Amino acid sequence: MPRHLLMRLEAPLIAFGGETIDKFGVIRDFPALSMVTGLLANALGYGREESGLHERLQSRLLIGARLDSDVQRLTDFQTAQLGKDDLGWTTWGTPEGRRGGPDAYSSPHLRYRDYHAGLKVLVALRLEPAAETPTLDDLAQALDRPARPLFIGRKTCLPSRRVFAGWQDATNILEALKVVPFPDSPIRLRLQWPDGEGVLPGDHVLDLCDERNWTSGVHGGWRPVREGVFDAPGVTT
Amino acid sequence: MQIPRFIQIHTLHTYPAALLNRDDAGLAKRLPLGDAVRTRISSQCLKRHWRVTEDAFALANLDVPMGIRSRGTLELIAKRLQENGLTALLAQAAAEALRDAGLLDKGGKDKKGEDALKTGQAVLLGKPEIDYLVNRCTELAAGNAEEKTLKAAIGEWLKGKDEKRNIEALKHGSGLESALFGRMVTSDLLTSRDAAVYVAHAFTVHQAQVENDYFTVVDDLLQDAGELGSAGIFDTELASGLYYGYVVVDVPQLVQNLEGVDFKKCFADGASPEQRALAARVVQNLLHLIATVSPGAKRGSTAPFDWAKFMLVEAGDWQPRSLAAAFHNALSLDDNSAPIRQRAVGKLTAEIAAMDDAYGAPLARRFLSVDPVSVPGAERLNLTQLADWAKGIVEQGAC
Repeated sequence: MPRHLLMRLEAPLIAFGGETIDKFGVIRDFPALSMVTGLLANALGYGREESGLHERLQSRLLIGARLDSDVQRLTDFQTAQLGKDDLGWTTWGTPEGRRGGPDAYSSPHLRYRDYHAGLKVLVALRLEPAAETPTLDDLAQALDRPARPLFIGRKTCLPSRRVFAGWQDATNILEALKVVPFPDSPIRLRLQWPDGEGVLPGDHVLDLCDERNWTSGVHGGWRPVREGVFDAPGVTT
Repeated sequence: MQIPRFIQIHTLHTYPAALLNRDDAGLAKRLPLGDAVRTRISSQCLKRHWRVTEDAFALANLDVPMGIRSRGTLELIAKRLQENGLTALLAQAAAEALRDAGLLDKGGKDKKGEDALKTGQAVLLGKPEIDYLVNRCTELAAGNAEEKTLKAAIGEWLKGKDEKRNIEALKHGSGLESALFGRMVTSDLLTSRDAAVYVAHAFTVHQAQVENDYFTVVDDLLQDAGELGSAGIFDTELASGLYYGYVVVDVPQLVQNLEGVDFKKCFADGASPEQRALAARVVQNLLHLIATVSPGAKRGSTAPFDWAKFMLVEAGDWQPRSLAAAFHNALSLDDNSAPIRQRAVGKLTAEIAAMDDAYGAPLARRFLSVDPVSVPGAERLNLTQLADWAKGIVEQGAC
């Protein structure tokens, strides 16, 4: 039976980022494959320019997640004062400025960032092929002694517990998510797992765009996942 | 003995009747957590106040010893060029050319040899910036095998109109602030700088205590004329609270951002403590700033100035984790068994003990407190000693 690595993602604020458009940083309910890839790559000490390593790790990862608390969202409002003359250097030798007329800078730039408040999430993951490096054991070690501090979606979202949460042998991701001990208060647990990794009565398939092309830096492609609800023991319906 | 790769800073601050950080409706920012809604201070708000503060420990006062910085940078570039296959003479010529063109100094002085590498102004170049200069010089060296022609080629390249402006932008973008808090450039991944200081949103350890403050503006002139009128009626929100704050310093990343050395070599055998000296001073100053600088809107009308009533510093190389879970259940405001600050410290120490028990990863710890509290296994210090301790362990590379 394949072995699965477990992670617990808990923090006062968490951001499972969706497609940010303009000033709106939206989130989704479940962690994206690209986010988990980034979190693990960060633990392993990959540099952001090492896109090949990220790409390979992402292509080997199979992840599923279980929400161990209710989802509560909040929107953080930020202002930033930008200047027209702000210049950024580039590696192609031509400095980059900002567009827009002078009036565009007379007021602060407004940004809205969504967060999950007090969310507790269990993640089960596996690598295929399993024998290649990094192995699941490498990941476990890196999570405990990461190359950099771990964060959950945004750098302000710092975990409030050890992220590595042990191992679970299970035939597939869904089974792993179903047997790991449940939160203290019985709730209906929402789960998301890759299509082909088990089925739950009443679940549904949806296509998710959460893979990042680490070379171009944009998200693309669709992968089928299943979402469903599983009652922890003690839930009365 | 552990390596102080991560320095974690936990604080408790008291702010009565203040509006520290507000949302787009002008209300105090909030956070639903566990069994109660709290008030919150965003990380952006905290960082901004630490950045712009002007006091003895201001970041601006960390002015870097001029000669040493620039000498270090040019020597590093020359060394990296040799690693790329250039001869010592060519690498020296390239470094001299960079300097002559005004990259690290006013330029035009045409200094040679050791002299050329040992003088100059402070420019804080990080790893991406140094990588860029090394790569460009290496490319130019491929077609210019003579010292003289290489110098000329580098001079020509830097004189180009775009490149000149690019180098200016490079200097502006490579300051201490981006070394600490990062810089994100979406169009050019390689110029981004990873933050070395991670800041969580601070939140109250008890349920939000918010009061609507109604006020009028009395018109003195109208009163003198015998009228009762006020010039305006307003209301605003004021919140009181005991806030838990959490910051992590990624020491190897800070050294990389400040010194241009790879973070993996920060604490390697044979790594020079001198290379960590500036990072150590940054950490020292940062501790003072975190303890004594208050965020806040409405400073004139609410005077939201507080020094940390409790500050715990942890150092080690295990995964950083906040102690926020200690406050997942809000502290009761009616519990009179002990003052709330002491109860909050009790929660924090219980959380640490539980984590140490469960995971067996004890860290080096020191704390300060204005209350008669104790933290098991941690020595009590005053702020100066605490900041000096953090500085010392970064330099020594052990805690």
